[in-house]
Amino acid sequence: MDINVAIQAAPFSMAYGYEDALAGRSDIGAVVTFTGLVRDFNETPDVTGLTLEHYPGMTEATLTDIGEQAWQRWSLQAVRIIHRVGYLIPGDPIVRVLVASAHRREAFEACDFIMDFLKTQAPFWKKEHSTQGEYWVKERHSDQQDAARWGRD
Amino acid sequence: MPLTHLNMRGEANMVDVGDKQETRREAIASGRIVMQPETLKLLSDGGLPKGDVLATARIAGIQAAKRTHELIPLCHSLALSKVSVEFEIDLAESCVNVVALCRLNGRTGVEMEALTAVSVACLTLYDMCKAVDKSMCIEAIQLDSKEGGQRGDYQRMSVQAPIVTGDGMAGEVSLGERCPSPCVRIKFLAELRERLGESEALVSLDELASRDIGGLKTALAQRDSRFKLLTEQRTLCAINQVMANDDALVTDDDEVAFFPPVTGG
Repeated sequence: MDINVAIQAAPFSMAYGYEDALAGRSDIGAVVTFTGLVRDFNETPDVTGLTLEHYPGMTEATLTDIGEQAWQRWSLQAVRIIHRVGYLIPGDPIVRVLVASAHRREAFEACDFIMDFLKTQAPFWKKEHSTQGEYWVKERHSDQQDAARWGRD
Repeated sequence: MPLTHLNMRGEANMVDVGDKQETRREAIASGRIVMQPETLKLLSDGGLPKGDVLATARIAGIQAAKRTHELIPLCHSLALSKVSVEFEIDLAESCVNVVALCRLNGRTGVEMEALTAVSVACLTLYDMCKAVDKSMCIEAIQLDSKEGGQRGDYQRMSVQAPIVTGDGMAGEVSLGERCPSPCVRIKFLAELRERLGESEALVSLDELASRDIGGLKTALAQRDSRFKLLTEQRTLCAINQVMANDDALVTDDDEVAFFPPVTGG
């Protein structure tokens, strides 16, 4: 299984994982990437930044496990997941998921699957800073529903 | 304590240091410039168009320290006996850390000189790299320590970033202090930690009516009513970093974490 996960405070490049996942391979026919960014509106309209906390150790293990579950369900060639922690401002990329497969459908679905489970299982917590003060972000019911679409194992 | 650069009428004024004793003064300041990983690689490989970036920034920092009095209105001109500017390339954080030390035997402190050296060294790094990266960010310019002078020594407390809830690596469980008797080590994370005002706790297995997560919650609530939060609001739990429910058993030396629903991505 070619799965790689990374957690870091520093910004990551928009090319993250691409070259390394594809190096020396010609059996990959589709690469799907998802990038999540910090919005300037969320629970309040004027978000100035957010602080992301995580549970070191468990975070990496959970993301690897989600990647492995995707690997079991679809025929994949590479999975790369990178997630930032610490202080971020609107416009900053928070997360990037890259999935490579022989065919596009598998890559699209696996990428969607990984994001749904990342949002509902990986131990990250966002505290938003806004012009009205700071608060911890609440879980969203829609995220739980999104994850439930895939059926529980 | 009054601000020494204001006179009795509240106007800016240069402090007369003529009567102060000459003593050995030293100050260390630091800061950093965060950049894209590709920029940092070009910098460390010497691949940037303006040439040797660090050597240039070092000279700039030293020159700036000597000219601090020209920049900061009420600073005295000082005959510094030593100025050093050092750089550390941090690949993990994708930044260059800058540390400046200034020293002299004199009547006034040298913290403004050290801070100026760091600031100008960072600005020079920005100037040398801006052709390839405009998103660089100069941050955390601060006084780390100072020695000598009337107000005595100062040492900055090292502040831990709030994201640290443990120091484990992937697949590894951090070992804190071992319990004197069989017990579990508990962590409270994120909003739960803030609401409880508590980040860690030890609970002896003997305190548990049932040796599972449910029993642990009950024992904590008996210890202090604040811990009723664990059952009153939706709280998730992990044993040794694996998600667990109320029926999951706990054994000696387990790491149990309680936390709110996750909100990453």
